[in-house]
Amino acid sequence: MKFYVCIKQVPDVNAPLQIKDGQLIQDADRNILNAYDASAVEEALVMKEAHGGEIEVVLIGPEKAKETIRKALAMGADSGSHIITNGDESYDSFSYAKILATFFKDKEYSYILCGKQSQDTDSGLTGSMLAGLLGIPYATNAVGLEVTNGSLTVKRQGDTGQEIIDVPSPGLVTCSNDMNDPRIPNLKGIMQSKRKPVDTISVADLVVDVSSESVKTHVLSYEEKPTRQPGKKYEGEPEEVARQVARLLDTAENVI
Amino acid sequence: MSTLLTYISVNDGKIKRSSLEVLSRCNELASLHGLKSAALVVDSAAAAIADQLKQYGPDTIYTIENPIFKNHLNTPLLRALSRVMEEINPRLVAFASTESTKDILGALAANSEAASLADVSEFELTEAGVKAKRPVMASKIISAVEAKGSPVIITVRSGSYDVTEKSSDAPIESIPFSFNDDELKITLKEIISASGDKIDLSEAETVIAAGRGVKDEEGRKLIDELASVLNAGIGASRALTEAGVYDPSLQIGQTGKVVSPQLYIGIGISGAIQHVAGMANSKVIVAINKDPDAPIFEIADYGIVGDLYKILPPFIDELKKVKNN
Amino acid sequence: MDEKFDCIIVGAGVAGLAAAMTLARNNMKFLLIEKGEFPGSKNVSGGVLWGNDLAKLVPDYWEEDAGWERFINHRRLTFMDDQSTFSVDFKSSHFNDPPYTGVVVLRSKFDRWLAEKVQEAIDASDYAMDSFIAPNVLVEEVLQKDGKTVGIKAGGDEFYSDSVILAEGVNNLLTRQVGLQDTYVPADHMLTGVKEVIRFDQKVLEDRFQLNGLSGMSNEFVGYATNGVEGGGFLYTNRDTISIGLVLGLKDLREKEQTPYDILNEFKKHPVIADTIRGGEVVEYSAHIVSSGDKRVMPEKLYKPGLVVCGEAANLLLNAGKAIQGMDYAMRSGILAAEAITKAKEKVDFGEEAMKSYQTALEDSYIMKDINNFQDAVHLLHDPVMTQKMPNLICDFGRNFFSIKNEPTPKSRNMLRGAIKRHASYWELIKLGAKSAKAL
Ligand SMILES: Cc1cc2nc3c(=O)[nH]c(=O)nc-3n(C[C@H](O)[C@H](O)[C@H](O)COP(=O)(O)OP(=O)(O)OC[C@H]3O[C@@H](n4cnc5c(N)ncnc54)[C@H](O)[C@@H]3O)c2cc1C
Ligand SMILES: Cc1cc2nc3c(=O)[nH]c(=O)nc-3n(C[C@H](O)[C@H](O)[C@H](O)COP(=O)(O)OP(=O)(O)OC[C@H]3O[C@@H](n4cnc5c(N)ncnc54)[C@H](O)[C@@H]3O)c2cc1C
Ligand SMILES: Nc1ncnc2c1ncn2[C@@H]1O[C@H](COP(=O)(O)O)[C@@H](O)[C@H]1O
Repeated sequence: MKFYVCIKQVPDVNAPLQIKDGQLIQDADRNILNAYDASAVEEALVMKEAHGGEIEVVLIGPEKAKETIRKALAMGADSGSHIITNGDESYDSFSYAKILATFFKDKEYSYILCGKQSQDTDSGLTGSMLAGLLGIPYATNAVGLEVTNGSLTVKRQGDTGQEIIDVPSPGLVTCSNDMNDPRIPNLKGIMQSKRKPVDTISVADLVVDVSSESVKTHVLSYEEKPTRQPGKKYEGEPEEVARQVARLLDTAENVI
Repeated sequence: MSTLLTYISVNDGKIKRSSLEVLSRCNELASLHGLKSAALVVDSAAAAIADQLKQYGPDTIYTIENPIFKNHLNTPLLRALSRVMEEINPRLVAFASTESTKDILGALAANSEAASLADVSEFELTEAGVKAKRPVMASKIISAVEAKGSPVIITVRSGSYDVTEKSSDAPIESIPFSFNDDELKITLKEIISASGDKIDLSEAETVIAAGRGVKDEEGRKLIDELASVLNAGIGASRALTEAGVYDPSLQIGQTGKVVSPQLYIGIGISGAIQHVAGMANSKVIVAINKDPDAPIFEIADYGIVGDLYKILPPFIDELKKVKNN
Repeated sequence: MDEKFDCIIVGAGVAGLAAAMTLARNNMKFLLIEKGEFPGSKNVSGGVLWGNDLAKLVPDYWEEDAGWERFINHRRLTFMDDQSTFSVDFKSSHFNDPPYTGVVVLRSKFDRWLAEKVQEAIDASDYAMDSFIAPNVLVEEVLQKDGKTVGIKAGGDEFYSDSVILAEGVNNLLTRQVGLQDTYVPADHMLTGVKEVIRFDQKVLEDRFQLNGLSGMSNEFVGYATNGVEGGGFLYTNRDTISIGLVLGLKDLREKEQTPYDILNEFKKHPVIADTIRGGEVVEYSAHIVSSGDKRVMPEKLYKPGLVVCGEAANLLLNAGKAIQGMDYAMRSGILAAEAITKAKEKVDFGEEAMKSYQTALEDSYIMKDINNFQDAVHLLHDPVMTQKMPNLICDFGRNFFSIKNEPTPKSRNMLRGAIKRHASYWELIKLGAKSAKAL
């Protein structure tokens, strides 16, 4: 089986952030492999280990995002394709989906795996957009994958329960990070990753319209979320504080 | 006159409150801009649900009824929505944000070449399309966004708007729809439902959330007891859904559900940003944690520092008393 | 993996990165291993990187708008009692031109940036494909065979090399494992550092601290800052934040049953400090052990066949009151370690003598000269007369000296006498004076 995993480099949401004149500034410029994509890579590795096959990761991003491809290769993916951007374009999910669709047009694959969403924007659009553009069956929010006779059985988390779905090949699945704990590359993996092939492609070389006029959604500005002020801390005799708070929830807050 | 179309999410024959929130907002925008607000029900028993919708004030109610919609499957739903969009050419299609609607949002947008915004917390119409706000960076930050063109497709976070009742005598129009099983490329093999008739978390007025601090059967019993006293929905942090202690559909946070109850009580939860992303809009937040430096205390209105096993029993007792008065 | 490296460096702090940069420039095949998620992720300290060794590693670094925060042209030493501060203040445009005498850094950013520079140097070397920076990997063990260092163990796998540079920082488990340091280090030889990063609007920060362009200020504190615990305080200006913190004697903290966090909070509430940090928002808090600079904790021997220890793993640090020097020592010792390894490779001899040349170079450098010369100053900082009585006395004098009342003003000589009487004895002062004269 041939798996493609679409991976994205995202700013680390745990790094200090600030907003200046409506712009989002990440002081440390710390970028990581999107956690949901790391889970997709992990899942592909597990399937490959059990059933054989090949894993290629695809990333659209600036030159320096290459470290994220290396990370996936160090985890164990076999090869990578880096679709290089300047890094200052204002692409939205649809732009990325269009670029990916163009990339996949003449590729052969069993399945494309995506993350369920980008950790920084929580959009969750690219995967199903890509499936839509390629006209292939898909399932989102997978929390479990299984290979049966060369095709995938997906356990997807629905609103109230889980749906077990067969997705025929070629198809696409978006992965939740609830399905596994992605492995941390070990030293051997890191050393091998340098010798694994990474194809570089310029966005300009793909015949796709992602000009700024074609991008339909934009971020206008960022603002701080109104912060909640910490309330009172109750420490001391458990019985006493428990009673105190229970009463306040009734009398002061009226939420009981 | 162009239309603002609200998709009505139905779960087990019941309308999801979050989609009524969206409908209420669309009604408001429609009257503000002189447009039409329509509701759409796609379900195996759509007609019955359509009747219930009249009291929420849409101008028209569209229905698509077909047994295929008994369970969620993206292929027929996408077909149905594409069909409706062709038919009524709406200016806005709005969904409540749920795992079922997020499943199709992207593909629907791609198929109809429409701009789309997921998980907005506020939205309004502009000349160019739609302006909205949406939380980003694990909900630490709000971004103001714009989507251009017509239609624009959005999903709206639960709890973003109030439900307003306004009875109307909206005509119900059934849109013919047929679906050939051959078109169904994916097959649904089985549904594993969360056990019991639990309260829908995203609609619950009170939410009890259990975290890693709830270690054993005894802890879970305390949680259950507290929930039953307060008639609350039970949710959990990832630490416990991942460990299989609670059903994954009960996870609250960035990966899981967004809740905005009147009262949230977090028990043995540290308050990682990814969890907080799903509950920070609760009206009153209570946290019980033995670590006085747990980050959850930074957002809790009432922070009880102590061992949950010691705090919960008297807490439950006192709440019972309060309730009985 | 059967390939063998010329060198494996443990730890991508300042010392490890400096060593790696030097090895890459010298066309060596090496592995730099860091247990943190990325270089700098574990390195919470921060402050002033003194001297200009950085320019040796990254020539014209000042032309890049990355990595470092501000250069120092303004220094201040402040004595403090519970209400007042009395400062010695020095600012000079002499310090305005690169290479600067010191730059303020935030480690998570600086280390990462320096690691990128090292990667560039690797890419330009003959071993572009064979030298690695490996983050998120913990070195568990140094491998030794027949008295020689042969590599390391990580994640259960063995990796071989002719040499190992231990640059693992103050928590030097491997240095102890190979027997170069006692497993037990007395608490009175260790300090704990706590630090907060507080953010301001950049303009407000620049106005408040009279900064111009990228100029910056460093301020050390003695006295009330540490609430009676031995140690001192610091405040450094970054681009749009300040780093403010304390280093406190571990043993003294324990004996006085105080927590670093509480002392830092009190320090921040001091009226003078409160005015200085008003309106800022705390964006980071961190704590870390620091060596005291006491020579008695330094391993006597910093090498074994095929192995050298540098940076704070070797307890190379000096805190003589006017500044903490740890990063500059780490950087220089990393460079010296890599130079010794390079020479050893040329001569194909990684034996005891070859490694010893590192320690000899270290002894000849400013590092060991300063550490040796200023040992008394290090001890002075533990002297309660210096950390409590003296600051109180100075502030008392200051308060009188700067008060103008509508009554006859005593001569300052008499004011000083009064202050001394209230806070210390002449005898103590004479002793302290004599000590200081010797120490500094
Ligand atoms: C991309 C991404 C998405 C994520 N999405 C989610 C999400 O949707 N939802 C989510 O919850 N997490 C999510 N996480 C995980 C999240 O980062 C945290 O790991 C998780 O929320 C921790 O759960 P916890 O607070 O229960 O456990 P812990 O962080 O381990 O905290 C347990 C707490 O219990 C306290 N405690 C222990 N014993 C007791 C006792 N006897 N009495 C009182 N207190 C006690 C401890 O002091 C501690 O504070 C996500 C992570 C990533 C990277
Ligand atoms: C609060 C505070 C303020 C300070 N202020 C100043 C100042 O103003 N000026 C100054 O010059 N110095 C200052 N210092 C001291 C300075 O930070 C240290 O001296 C310096 O960081 C030492 O550098 P190093 O490279 O030797 O060690 P470190 O910077 O500690 O780096 C060691 C690295 O090794 C890694 N590591 C350790 N063990 C392993 C292992 N087994 N496997 C893999 N990786 C490992 C660690 O993760 C770490 O990244 C301060 C220290 C503190 C705590
Ligand atoms: N720049 C990109 N390069 C590769 N894959 C991407 C990129 N952007 C998005 N994706 C894929 O789409 C998913 C997230 O979609 P979204 O939340 O819409 O940004 C990610 O988890 C990836 O699988």
